[in-house]
Amino acid sequence: MRLKLLIVDDSMVIRNRIARLCLDMRLPSLEIVGLAGDGRQAVDLAERFRPDLVTMDLTMPHMDGEACIAHIAARLPETRILVVSALSDKATALRALKKGAQGFLHKPFSDAALIEALLELIR
Amino acid sequence: MTAPLTRKKPLQPEEVEVFAETIGHYFAHTTGEKARVRTAYLLETGSPPQDDFNGMILVRGSYQGSLCFAAPRGLLTHVLMRMGEQEYTDADHLDLVGEIANTLAGRARRAFGEGLEISPPHTFTRAGRALPTLADSTPLIIPFTWQSYAAVLAVHLDVLT
Repeated sequence: MRLKLLIVDDSMVIRNRIARLCLDMRLPSLEIVGLAGDGRQAVDLAERFRPDLVTMDLTMPHMDGEACIAHIAARLPETRILVVSALSDKATALRALKKGAQGFLHKPFSDAALIEALLELIR
Repeated sequence: MTAPLTRKKPLQPEEVEVFAETIGHYFAHTTGEKARVRTAYLLETGSPPQDDFNGMILVRGSYQGSLCFAAPRGLLTHVLMRMGEQEYTDADHLDLVGEIANTLAGRARRAFGEGLEISPPHTFTRAGRALPTLADSTPLIIPFTWQSYAAVLAVHLDVLT
């Protein structure tokens, strides 16, 4: 069965890069179900598609990533969330994990680091 | 009760070094090629330099002011290519310049902590735009080159104590 992936980032370049890496690396079990550019859109798409995995930026307009994580974790407890963020301080990472994220990847990230982090969530 | 943060002071040299490190780290990790960060200088007169594309981050919290990353089209096109992008529209360049500004600011929180509260990026093309002055200290300009391109990070921050 293929796992549904939702990609959330306010940068189109980063959304495209994550999507392309997932396709290029032929992560066989992933199907990209949506790309969201802000927090509200992320919540809408998450409720519509009920993704198994989400890559989540934190600094976004309208609704930030932490609020999104809390919302998705409450409504879709089976969804696993990988934070992909530039915010590099430890307190932010711990808060995101406490709100329901399962992994944290710092930007800028290498192709290998992203794939490894996604595989870690799939396992 | 915690006293409000009001007294302002400029960044210290070791704090400036943090921003220079963020530039080196970004280009090394994203493109595999290091940027050459040059000596930072204080901008005593005039406005921080702008370029073809500019990404500005507003800062609040224990710090107050802004960070502005300004880069020429060529540099951003090259970075887009390195990231595997196949489209090089103005929208792509604006998106990337904002993402770089956001990543540099976010990386700085490793040293400054979450007291460095950063906004999503505001982006604009070269227009000689008058930017809001959000800090009292003198802006600091960190110039660097990547490949043959020159760009700058303008750091205009007060530290609240």
